[in-house]
Amino acid sequence: MKTRHELTEILDFIAEYATYLLGSGVHTSRAIRNSQRIGEALGVDIQLSSFQRSTILTVRDDESGEAITRVVKIPSLPISFERNSDLSALSWDALDERLPLAEIRRRYALLIEKPRIDPIFVLVTVGLANASFCRLFGGDWTAMAIVFTSTLVGFAAKQRMQAHGVNHFLIFIIAAFMASLCASSALRFDCTAETALATSVLFLVPGVPLINGVIDIVEGHILIGCSRLINALLLIICIAIGLAATLLMVKDSLL
Amino acid sequence: METFWNTIADYNAATWPAQLLLVGIGAVLTLLLYKRPSSAVRSAMKIYMATLNFWIAGVYYLVWCRPREYHDLLALFWAIMGCIWLYDLAVKHASLERTKHHTIFARLLFVMPLVYPLCSLALGRSFPMITSPVMPCSVAVFTVGLMLAFSERINIVLAMFLCHWALIGLSKVYFFGIPEDYLLACSVVPALYLFFREYIRSLENRPAKPSPRVLNGLLGLLCAIIGGFFAFTLLHQFNLFTRI
Repeated sequence: MKTRHELTEILDFIAEYATYLLGSGVHTSRAIRNSQRIGEALGVDIQLSSFQRSTILTVRDDESGEAITRVVKIPSLPISFERNSDLSALSWDALDERLPLAEIRRRYALLIEKPRIDPIFVLVTVGLANASFCRLFGGDWTAMAIVFTSTLVGFAAKQRMQAHGVNHFLIFIIAAFMASLCASSALRFDCTAETALATSVLFLVPGVPLINGVIDIVEGHILIGCSRLINALLLIICIAIGLAATLLMVKDSLL
Repeated sequence: METFWNTIADYNAATWPAQLLLVGIGAVLTLLLYKRPSSAVRSAMKIYMATLNFWIAGVYYLVWCRPREYHDLLALFWAIMGCIWLYDLAVKHASLERTKHHTIFARLLFVMPLVYPLCSLALGRSFPMITSPVMPCSVAVFTVGLMLAFSERINIVLAMFLCHWALIGLSKVYFFGIPEDYLLACSVVPALYLFFREYIRSLENRPAKPSPRVLNGLLGLLCAIIGGFFAFTLLHQFNLFTRI
């Protein structure tokens, strides 16, 4: 039987763990499964329902029937598939090895402290990925090179604005505008300029919220699924605004 | 091609006194940054850089390059860079403290705007139809030199803008046959390598992913690929000239 203090400690840890997962781009049912697995390892029942900005968690001791509930804010963190995978593995380790809470906490802290991928490395690889998109959509080598450097400009601006805490939607509008403005220099040359313009903003497409939104809806978490899709849709509208501003200047029309 | 050189000739003929004044102010401020750096000199240099960028946007592109296609877009491009300098002035991002690294290369970049007209003269052109020190590519080279000599922490957005401009410059060599623009392309690649190498060095004492060694290797590879691409373009250009 767990004391109230022990239950509170478990709840605090699961709250931190689950919100970290949700903030790092994990879909809802995966966060619930992982949290419940850790709860099972610690001998408690975990129930969790999540919204776009907060999560409600309940920990219940089966023996005493005592339950504690908390509402926790979901932090906005950079998406990291590696970290998500590590944290999922931690929940399996906790269950398989029946780890005590102190050990789970220690391993969790180690995983969280692991260095993130260097932002400059991300910048260059995103540029290369977007240039590859340009090629996939039929762009020639000149267009690819222009898309590469345009993406560097747009993504560097996005990184700097995020570091300065600029509004999320404004960041997407400005980054899309800057990347497409740079890509519009392709119009001066004999190359596939329209492909360059169209693909220059693809690095901004919010793929993770779109996928998570669909998965959440399919798995029955309709509310958060819809919230994620609406959020992704708003970001896509922001990209469209940035791109439209460039198109209106360059071609005097959107088509 | 003809429109391109005509607009340059008109610009040079009409603005050479102002260009001389701008070059003079730039030279004095650069010397002051070397010899008597102070907070006022640093702020003055940032204001000068913003003015220079707005000059390129307004006077060069909007007024004198009006006959060229998409001149307004290029004006906006330079106006954004001017705004970045003003933002830098407001938030004090770039310290403009002397780095004491790569001094020879930085000095070479500082004199590069003066090399541009000499290159044009060497290629058989005459005033006013020559590249001058207050033109986009010359200003871009000067900016790279300034960042290399005086910025411990470079403004990455500005560096990426200049990288994009260098690529456009290289495309101009290829599509419009303006070999002077090689100067910018050839300056930006080693400068970017040095910027990023300094950045990687700063990571050596803290955990990073990928490791600084891998990052250094990747940086070398990327610069080698870009250098190879430039060399290919240069050879192709020579081929075009010999055919002409």
